[in-house]
Amino acid sequence: MVAGLLLGGFYAAVSLGVSLIFGLLDIANIAQPAFVILGSYAAYVMNRSFGLDAILTGLLFTPVFYVLGAVVYRLYYESFERRGEESLRGLVFFFGVLFIIEVSLSLKYGVDYRLVEAAYIGKSIDLGGVGIAFRLLVPCLVGLAMTLALHLFLSRTFYGRAVMAVSQDRLALRLMGADPVRIKTIAFGVGIAAASLAGALLITIAPVVPSTDRDYIGRMFAITVLGGMGSIAGTLVAAVILGVAESLMSTFFGPSWSLAVSFGILLVALAVRPAGLLGR
Amino acid sequence: MHDVDAGYGAVRVLHHVSIEVREGETVALLGTNGNGKSTLIKCIMGIVRPEAGEIFLETDGTRVDLTKRPTEEIVGLGIAMVPEGRRLFPKLTVQENLLLGAYRPQARGDIARNLAFCFEAFPVLRARRKQLAGSMSGGEQQMLAVARALMSSPRILLVDEPSVGLAPILVNRVIGKIKELKERHHLTVLMAEQNFNQATKIADRGYIIVHGKIEFEGHSTQELREHELVKKYYLGV
Ligand SMILES: Nc1ncnc2c1ncn2[C@@H]1O[C@H](COP(=O)(O)OP(=O)(O)OP(=O)(O)O)[C@@H](O)[C@H]1O
Ligand SMILES: [Mg+2]
Repeated sequence: MVAGLLLGGFYAAVSLGVSLIFGLLDIANIAQPAFVILGSYAAYVMNRSFGLDAILTGLLFTPVFYVLGAVVYRLYYESFERRGEESLRGLVFFFGVLFIIEVSLSLKYGVDYRLVEAAYIGKSIDLGGVGIAFRLLVPCLVGLAMTLALHLFLSRTFYGRAVMAVSQDRLALRLMGADPVRIKTIAFGVGIAAASLAGALLITIAPVVPSTDRDYIGRMFAITVLGGMGSIAGTLVAAVILGVAESLMSTFFGPSWSLAVSFGILLVALAVRPAGLLGR
Repeated sequence: MHDVDAGYGAVRVLHHVSIEVREGETVALLGTNGNGKSTLIKCIMGIVRPEAGEIFLETDGTRVDLTKRPTEEIVGLGIAMVPEGRRLFPKLTVQENLLLGAYRPQARGDIARNLAFCFEAFPVLRARRKQLAGSMSGGEQQMLAVARALMSSPRILLVDEPSVGLAPILVNRVIGKIKELKERHHLTVLMAEQNFNQATKIADRGYIIVHGKIEFEGHSTQELREHELVKKYYLGV
């Protein structure tokens, strides 16, 4: 149960990018989990070569990932969105990006499991008889901080509010004095920057291989839709629900059930509330 | 706006249109359905690009060509538009819509003042500020659309049919508030209207547009009222 709650904070961190890019911008970026794994490998390389802490690396790399995201969006925009061909071809584009990242990582680092080292990994704290592993606690706290930061960005800043508006009416946004393409570029960059940190959290929790993205893709989209498209608070709630459900299921029935649980909960919830838990 | 031709693809809607709005004036653009009022306003905002002619803004002796600028830059110059069909952000709250209206950097410092003005002008917006814009009534949405445009501290306000969907008492209110702003902040207004009586309540003068041509320029509302086109189309004489 406690492990599930902690897992939830981490799942939220992993899903924020999808909430932003798929939930708010309506861009089917299925490559998001690959960017997360890229973040894991950045953390691995920096940890291995310079002894840098994984999460610190994740933070330091956010500007790099932001620029990477902005470039990928511009490519996507120029090749598809501008011509109004985004839906199906856009999906192919992002599948290509996913594939390129995964294959490049496999070629460079092989398919062995990679992990990072830090003083706190392996330690735990005793809270009223329940042992809480730092390996899970730290990612959860970082995940919560990221969720809060993104929530504040969207609700308190001019750019953030424009991000929430851009997929609703592009022309109206221009009439507010904002350039929709610029707004989407910023939002996409922020979404990919979140993957840098999320990847660092992922490799802190468990070892990673280039194909680990496949374990997360379904979960990330399930959390986004369950929480309600584009709702950051909803993403957190959905992530916690899934985290708890998965860890209970794997305690009682074994880990192979966990993805089935994600989608089972998603289907039931959508039948009851089509807009998701906190969707508008 | 001088000698403008504009349209959509092969369809030409505006023919040699020339109009002028001077600082502090309220000018009405009168015309019945499909005569090109909205197209003219869209040309000023850079939403429709003219095929020929020029559109420019002259302030403090500098002249800015509007035909070469993107819409968001034109807004940045201090021109706000209340579009036809309102075009609110339906899944954002009333307050979020209003704050987006203040996106223009020059308007951000005035948010508290402008918000207070909008809430005082349209108290229903204050009461509903947490409600999603899409779930408001048509009239409330029209008020929000006007208020959102005012949040950008505009120097020039383009309004496309403010009276559509509003009860007469609310039309008076919207028009009255625009008039108040115009007097208080020296706002310049261009208002497209089908409703002659509403438009002439605040207009200083006006143009009549028929089939995309300016058929008549009235230098006062009196001149407009006496023109045969107005008598024919609006006053049922
Ligand atoms: N996007 C478009 N594509 C093609 N034709 C258009 C488009 N928008 C408007 N038109 C045509 O241009 C002409 C003028 O339209 P416009 O919307 O400017 O008229 P209006 O005076 O604003 O009318 P209304 O009072 O009904 O709003 C109409 O014949 C209309 O069919
Ligand atoms: Mg119109």
